[in-house]
Amino acid sequence: MNVLTSRWLPHAIFAFAAFAMPLVFSGNRYFAFIVGITLLSVLWATGMNLLYGYTGLMPLMFAGIAGISAYVTIGLSAAGWSFWLAMLVGSIAASLVGIVLGLPSLRLRGFYFTLCSLVIQSVITLAFVYFVNLTNGDVGISHIPLPELPGGGQLTGTSYELVLAALTVIGVVVLTLLVESGFGHRLIAIREDDGLAETLGINVTRQRLAAFFIASLFASIGGALYAPYVGFVSPRSFDVLVSLNIWLMVAFGGRGTIWGPVVGAVILAPLPFLLQDYYMIKDVVYGLLIIGVIVLLPAGIVGGWKRKAAAGEPAPDVAQKTAPAR
Amino acid sequence: MKRQSRILATGFALALVLSTTALAQEPVKIGFVTELTEPWSFFGTSCVAGLKLAELQINPAGKRKIEFITIDNQTRPDQALAASRNLDVQSKVIALSGPTSSDTALAMNGYAEQNKVPFVVPVAAFPQLTKPGTRYTFRIEPDAAGWGYAIAQFVAKQKPSAKVAVIYSDFALMRAIVAGLKYQASKAGLKIEPEILFPQGTSDATVQAAQVRAANPDYVVVIGAGGFDSTLTNQLLDIGIRTDQIIHPFGITTQVKNWGKRSVGSYYGTFFDANLDKLTAEGKQFVDQFRAQNDRPPSYIENYCFVTAHIIREVIDKNPGAGDDREKFRDAVSALKTKETTSGIPITFDKNGARKEYMYFMQIQDVQAKDYKSKQVFYIEWDPEVIPVYDLIK
Amino acid sequence: MSDATIIILLSMITTGLMLGMIFSLVAVGVTIIYGSIWMPNAANGQFFLLAALLLWSASVSWGLHPALAALIIIGLSVPFSYALEILLIRRFYDVPNRNISYFVLSLGITQILAGIFSITYGIWSDQFQLPPLVGGLTMLGPFPMVNNRLAAMLIAALLLVALFTLLRYHRYGRALRAVFQNREAAALRGVDVRAVYRMSFVLGNAVVFAGGVLFACAYSFDFSIAWTMAITAFAIMIIGGPGSVLGALVIGMVFGLTQAAVSIFASPTIAAFSYLGAMLVILLFRPSGLFAR
Repeated sequence: MNVLTSRWLPHAIFAFAAFAMPLVFSGNRYFAFIVGITLLSVLWATGMNLLYGYTGLMPLMFAGIAGISAYVTIGLSAAGWSFWLAMLVGSIAASLVGIVLGLPSLRLRGFYFTLCSLVIQSVITLAFVYFVNLTNGDVGISHIPLPELPGGGQLTGTSYELVLAALTVIGVVVLTLLVESGFGHRLIAIREDDGLAETLGINVTRQRLAAFFIASLFASIGGALYAPYVGFVSPRSFDVLVSLNIWLMVAFGGRGTIWGPVVGAVILAPLPFLLQDYYMIKDVVYGLLIIGVIVLLPAGIVGGWKRKAAAGEPAPDVAQKTAPAR
Repeated sequence: MKRQSRILATGFALALVLSTTALAQEPVKIGFVTELTEPWSFFGTSCVAGLKLAELQINPAGKRKIEFITIDNQTRPDQALAASRNLDVQSKVIALSGPTSSDTALAMNGYAEQNKVPFVVPVAAFPQLTKPGTRYTFRIEPDAAGWGYAIAQFVAKQKPSAKVAVIYSDFALMRAIVAGLKYQASKAGLKIEPEILFPQGTSDATVQAAQVRAANPDYVVVIGAGGFDSTLTNQLLDIGIRTDQIIHPFGITTQVKNWGKRSVGSYYGTFFDANLDKLTAEGKQFVDQFRAQNDRPPSYIENYCFVTAHIIREVIDKNPGAGDDREKFRDAVSALKTKETTSGIPITFDKNGARKEYMYFMQIQDVQAKDYKSKQVFYIEWDPEVIPVYDLIK
Repeated sequence: MSDATIIILLSMITTGLMLGMIFSLVAVGVTIIYGSIWMPNAANGQFFLLAALLLWSASVSWGLHPALAALIIIGLSVPFSYALEILLIRRFYDVPNRNISYFVLSLGITQILAGIFSITYGIWSDQFQLPPLVGGLTMLGPFPMVNNRLAAMLIAALLLVALFTLLRYHRYGRALRAVFQNREAAALRGVDVRAVYRMSFVLGNAVVFAGGVLFACAYSFDFSIAWTMAITAFAIMIIGGPGSVLGALVIGMVFGLTQAAVSIFASPTIAAFSYLGAMLVILLFRPSGLFAR
């Protein structure tokens, strides 16, 4: 089969762009950094998409999970572990926490689950501030050393961005494979109607928790790599606004499509850097974007475009029992 | 003809360059990343007001221009970091400066050390900013654990073996002050009881004020954050704590105004005040000009940002090349021996970039709508490592 | 009992009552809107802060009497709510599963207001403190109670009683409950559902505004109060049962009192964690709240 006609063509183009951008901007560390952060955001948005787009849940504690992974990884590295081993342990630990935090989704739907996750995010942020001995409290941790390379030396500069690019590409490919697998179909069935899915013999609990584990893995690998890349973390690096931004990337781009969240992240992640001189209006712009998405683009950019292309096909909607039984 | 004129012009320009090198040189760019919006903006905007005043003075004709590029960090460390990166890479500033909050300053400190950019911190007090091994960061303000030391010394002088209550918000700055205070209190024979910590975002302290009152301490050290500071102070006074029992570790003009007339008699620590016994002529001029422009006297925030600009002027003037080379700039700041133009207090940095430290304690005498009176009751100087500040709080 | 113990006890009770009433007011405002429109308004904290900031401007900068200014500001909330209702809220009245859309929408409004506040009021963010409505102290035994806070408590109590009566016995209150229980049935019985929606949005916000001005009278405040209040109001609404005014009243008071008590016997930080914990537990095991009908 020819690559050009393959359904993997978009992935090939994306991979090419993801690897090319760090090289194009290798001469300017500022632009290269924006590229790096954008790649990380794509990874996060892709993970969020599995939950928000395909499982039909809107969690607002995504950044909290990334934060747990970042703090664990930093702590273990500081204790003398190799960064890569620390990252592995940190990511898996944070993803297990992600499963626990996903438990409420078994009982709660829609807004109730979102609110619950918002409370969880608040508790996580409070805990990051409160457990000073582990996290340095609100001052955060600075001077985070760069990851060491197996052959000696450190992962730095353009090579760091290339690693981020590789992980992001892997992330998108993994999501595509998952969505097209039986697991993905079961998730979509649960999203559309979990009662019906249950009667069809799908183990809703297991599928949902598996989705939480995988999505948390996206969050936590991103979080572990974020810390040394930026060189600094504090509770505010992983607060509710960050969670909300990741959600916005997915919603803005188009949930429940592979490329919507990618487009959303690529547009929104560089915004704070480009708007730096217009800092006064940044929050207002973000607020207007959120409202704009909800009012005008409920299916996101890609979702809206797809719907136009295949007129008649309804946009993937978040299935929810709006309220628990009264 | 055209060509001739061009040659002539070039020659003329060259002559100009040779006669007054200053005119042809690029301005020295300093990145000033500070808190212009969000929680600490009252600190950042005060700082910029002091800086603006200095900018009117530090660029006389004939000297190489120093240009401050001010960027908002929204009181967010990640924004401070992004802005630093931008200023470093895009604007190619010779040094960074500006933050007035410990978390943003620490984020920038990490960046400055890793990327070898000199970083002059006007107002941020967390000890770890100048932890051993620091090379590019220089701190103008004494560190907060040291303030705690100073408070303990002040109380011990007022009343030996006094009982001191501490009531504070869970911010890095406050934790550092309390760590220093507790350390020195045990050495100076003071008793700390009770110690009450509030989480961020607290709004009421009536109950804790009652607890403090019930413990019947000699002094109460009050360190609230933002609006909560006024609530805390008022509720302590409401419940019967006397004003002369209250010590605020730091007081800027707006805070003194907030505490208001009913706080007359309370003490506050500071590093510069319009009511100091000894101000230099420049200091008096600074106070007058600031008052004329801003309708209130300046406090240590404005002073430190004003002084920072003057320090940078002095470094550039005395060290050829410091305006174009970060290492030279760093070495020049490190070797600097000068005085605060406003109060005459010496400025020298130790090997970690910490300053020889000092603190004033003032007692409030009167508070009016746009001004206040206070008198200096205690002055203390100390070596930055008089207590183990870098081990007390990480 | 020693004087010290009495002082602590009385401070705990008065603080609990004061905080409880403000919590209750805001939670009632939030629950009225959720009960009818199904809009979980996360921006309630920003509305609360907006009212407090306006009161500060009116009384400190423009020299209006705080009581008069408070009334004007609560009055201003009516056109403000109407404008929002026309612009955004009514678009979603008939959307199925609209509560999550509303929730996100209100997070957007939160961002916009927070952005506006930080541009406009940011530089004074340590100065939000009002002159007292009433001066002086009243001694309750050994415990000195500030008259100003006593007055704020009294007003809050009157407001709560008036609200409760309105919702219990007035025609509108009955219509509101009918709409909450079953929108279609209420429509069939001739209730103008959209009018009830509009009315609820306006009334709910007015109550939140009232909470904001009362808080500003009793405490100095800063921007952080918006988020604290938003989360607290949600917690109370969830535990009391979404849509239940009685639940919001009772749980609001319980919150105030336990927060005061826990902060004495444990620590203020534990108190902050504890209500979030309580909310999680209720959400998980009795998501319809303790007072659901």
